[in-house]
Amino acid sequence: MKELTEVLEDWEAVIGLEVHAELTTLKTKMFCSCPIEFGADPNTHTCPVCLGMPGALPVPNKAAIESIVLAGLATNCDIEKHTMFYRKGYFYPDMAKNFQTTQGPLAFCMRGHLDLELSAKGAAERVDIPKGEDGGYTTRIGITRIHMEEDAGKMTHLGGSEGRIDGAERSLVDYNRAGTPLIELVTEPDLRTPEEARAFMQKLRQIYLTLGISDCSMEEGSLRADGNVSLRRRGSTELGTKTELKNINSFKNLHDGLAYEICRQAEVLESGGVIRQETRHWEPGAKRTIVMRVKETADDYRMFPDPDLAPFDLTDEFIENVRVKLPELPDAKKARFMESYGLPAYDAGELAGDVEVAEFFEEAAQDTDAAIAKKIANLIINDVSAWANENATSISASQIAPAALAKLAKLLADDTISSKQGKEVLAALIGEGIDPEEYVKSHGMEQTTDTGAIEAIVGDLMAANPDKVEAYRGGKTGLQGFFMGQVMKQLGGQGNPKVISAIVTEKLEG
Amino acid sequence: MNEYSQLGVRQIHEGLRAGNFSARELATSAFDVIDRLDSQVHAFLELTPELAYAQADAVDAAIAAGEPLGILAGVPIAFKDNMNLEGTHTTCASRMLETYVSPFTATCVAKALDAGGICLGKTNMDEFAFGSSTETSFFGVTRNPWDLDRVPGGSSGGSAAAVAAGMATLSLGSDTGGSIRQPGSFTGTVALKPSYGVVSRYGVVAFGSSLDQVGPFARNVEDAAFALNAISGRDPLDCTSQPRDIDYTANLDAGINGMRIGIVPSLLELDGLTSEVKHAFEQSVAKLEGLGAEIVEVELPNAAAAISAYYVLGPCEAFSNLSRFDSVRYGHHAHGKNLEQRYEDSRAQGFGPEAKRRIMLGAWLLASGVYDEYYIPAQKVRTLITADYTKAFEKVDAIVLPTSPRTAFKFGEVSDPASMYLSDIYTISINIAGNGGMNLPVALGEDSGLPIGLQIVGPQFKDENILRVGAALETLVDIPRVAPLEKGGRS
Amino acid sequence: MTLTEKDVRDIAEYARIGLTDEELSTMTVDLNNIIETLRPITEYELEGVEPTFHPIGSLSNVMREDEVGESFEREVALSNSDSTSAGCFEIPSILGEGGDR
Repeated sequence: MKELTEVLEDWEAVIGLEVHAELTTLKTKMFCSCPIEFGADPNTHTCPVCLGMPGALPVPNKAAIESIVLAGLATNCDIEKHTMFYRKGYFYPDMAKNFQTTQGPLAFCMRGHLDLELSAKGAAERVDIPKGEDGGYTTRIGITRIHMEEDAGKMTHLGGSEGRIDGAERSLVDYNRAGTPLIELVTEPDLRTPEEARAFMQKLRQIYLTLGISDCSMEEGSLRADGNVSLRRRGSTELGTKTELKNINSFKNLHDGLAYEICRQAEVLESGGVIRQETRHWEPGAKRTIVMRVKETADDYRMFPDPDLAPFDLTDEFIENVRVKLPELPDAKKARFMESYGLPAYDAGELAGDVEVAEFFEEAAQDTDAAIAKKIANLIINDVSAWANENATSISASQIAPAALAKLAKLLADDTISSKQGKEVLAALIGEGIDPEEYVKSHGMEQTTDTGAIEAIVGDLMAANPDKVEAYRGGKTGLQGFFMGQVMKQLGGQGNPKVISAIVTEKLEG
Repeated sequence: MNEYSQLGVRQIHEGLRAGNFSARELATSAFDVIDRLDSQVHAFLELTPELAYAQADAVDAAIAAGEPLGILAGVPIAFKDNMNLEGTHTTCASRMLETYVSPFTATCVAKALDAGGICLGKTNMDEFAFGSSTETSFFGVTRNPWDLDRVPGGSSGGSAAAVAAGMATLSLGSDTGGSIRQPGSFTGTVALKPSYGVVSRYGVVAFGSSLDQVGPFARNVEDAAFALNAISGRDPLDCTSQPRDIDYTANLDAGINGMRIGIVPSLLELDGLTSEVKHAFEQSVAKLEGLGAEIVEVELPNAAAAISAYYVLGPCEAFSNLSRFDSVRYGHHAHGKNLEQRYEDSRAQGFGPEAKRRIMLGAWLLASGVYDEYYIPAQKVRTLITADYTKAFEKVDAIVLPTSPRTAFKFGEVSDPASMYLSDIYTISINIAGNGGMNLPVALGEDSGLPIGLQIVGPQFKDENILRVGAALETLVDIPRVAPLEKGGRS
Repeated sequence: MTLTEKDVRDIAEYARIGLTDEELSTMTVDLNNIIETLRPITEYELEGVEPTFHPIGSLSNVMREDEVGESFEREVALSNSDSTSAGCFEIPSILGEGGDR
């Protein structure tokens, strides 16, 4: 198969995403008052409603409706006031009523969009639009709708290999998850590269996390994506036949699955074949997609308005009450970080994308100047994040106090310690929660910035090496390094290079 | 005839207070009547004596302690077997649920019992309420206490027969297209289908969710009003239940002098309306007029469309509601070699022919393409029918109609499904619009000798109008309130 | 509109109701009779009429607060199933012989 970038020279990929997010931060399910809890003993969070017992009736969770309206406001959607829940019929044992309660032609949130900023690295796959000075580009992705529905239960397949459905002898059904509120976002087919798909998912995840409506754990399945992809020749406006990639559970799999699927489709089309409309499954290990199901005809879900659920007629008051809960979103926060702290776009974006990190940064950076803020940003983005990732923890779970990190940043900014020493102090800060100022003192790390002492040493050195002073003044300016090295040596490596450099130059220039 | 079996709710309440009898005696007496009669009638699918005596003893204890009594204290009540009551079977008269034991209780049942009612047991019905004769029950038919060769009507035939035979003072049924009122008419009982949403549907196994409504069978209008007081009200577990807090007994003595009562002349010209029913209807109208009501002719121009709308909407909702019966969590299960086979076999064995017909019909009607041709027009017809009623009720306070075009028919007499559907011709449009309607027994047929009912229909959520008209007319009706089954009867 | 036996077979498959050949013939006749009685619904003049899906008057926005209520004890949840295992409902192979999804 050809490489993706090569394929994309000739073909345009048309990609749409369906992103499901469980509203895990709510206390109870969508239509009953059973608790939402991941990992509870099977079937202990069930009741007549979520078990689909005969006679049970659904009652919508107000907080779930508020959450989806919040999601809609955060993604520039119109909030649809008049909506109804529908029943979507299909028989499957994880769906207790054998229909899913979802929304019909009108969802709570319609016609939204997100703007993506692709960095130079992510932009490489996109061949058809001009890039900015930094090598990146921005693109707007339309959001068709976000609708409210309920999740299914969980099935475990026994007797087959690796818990797979094929070959299984029997299956177990646990309805704890059944009825968990789920919001499904459907994009317009506006995405053109796997990187854009990844960027969209990352951005959406940042937004949902900022809103606090879901824990967005792709591992545990509380955030999952299906991707539709089709190809068309560059310049064509007709849509090709699409295939669907189901239940992708990481950003990498989303990217790699789509990339594979684009290359596979190109190979089929270029060898004169046709794409079948089918659902495929990405196998990360084997790095390929395999067919799950061929769709010969459109599924007929027998959808109709659910008579058990009163229609919605959301009031302006309801919507405004939600709007006031809208927190500062990552884009706005990024702009503010650039404005208020003088951070470069990249740093501001990295910090603003994570609620905890952003809060930590702001606490550390309060009452500091831009130079220190930049140092704090560097420490968080490069060092603390790496450590948190390695240890699968988060910044808030660490021992680091924002004020301590600010002290460390200050020591670095005013050159009291070198960046190499900074790493040592940070390690101690993470491990033992030390006070950076005291640590630097007690470990004799303070760099000499005593200009008098440095001037004296430089004076002695010049007196001892008149030939070198002569040579320097004759044009061999490289000899500055010799004097610096000697000063540093005499200071036992604790000298401040900037200060020394300035004094040496001044004296030599005489 | 047992001394207690004709007592009404008010007499029971007063008798208990006066110490004339105990609740336990009432319960014992009710089970005695059931023992004597139910082998012939087969109104009950399950009896709950342990529960009944425990509840009776609790009432007696409350009386002894001088505590306040619920409005249904000591009143023997039977529940249609589509109403969940924790620890009892709730079979819907289907093989599908033969072994199902309810793990929870329907709101209407809980309210009736909280009001002090004594649960006698669960009553027979058409399977999943699909029928008008109680002949589709998997557990055998219920016989009409007025003539054991005849059906009690349906689908709430067991609840109707239990009250008609004097086995229960009150019973609850459910009505999707006439399933309370038509058996009320066939068995000579007061049978009220309140406006949609007045009584919670939570825990009542759904047939047509936008049509189903729970209501009482009683032997007099006041008892029906007491029952409605007990079971009605907003239920946080049912989104469609109405926040209305009304004393339905308040206006029962107010008379109907000056009330405007509508009649619909075009509906009295239908084929199939027997002359004795028409005659009884005309006599009733004359009595209403005699009581001071103003009789006003109104039109329901879209009433004829109601039947086809109903037989679209009902099956669609039923198909969806009955999808949950898949053998996984409860219900009849066959041993299929794989899941699909087990689904098909379980449902083939568990559902009877009428249930299968309606499920299949609904599955077809909701298919894409068909949906726009049938389902959407049916919901538009609902709009027209609702507008008809709204318009008519601008002119009148209540409308009277026959309940059923004929009196109770013999077993097997009506076998073709399409004809059976016509027996609900006078009741269906009221479910479509969501209004309330009540059967009031008004006469014994001059040809058949069987009970004939008058249906009183009220504006939506004004069920108190219905009860008021019924209570007034009832004073001029003189037919036995308990079927003459024990006097040698008709069979 | 008239259904063929093939149509009825497809509906039965969707509705998960097994039918013998004989039942299929009877069902086809019954359904066609009923559908014939429904024909009027396809013939009314309904231009401009809005459908009424919920006969509930002005009721709308009915919701509950996000407060935890009672759940079943697990034994109760499972009590009506003939086949359970490890606290779960147990079902036969989904893709077993002849299975399809």
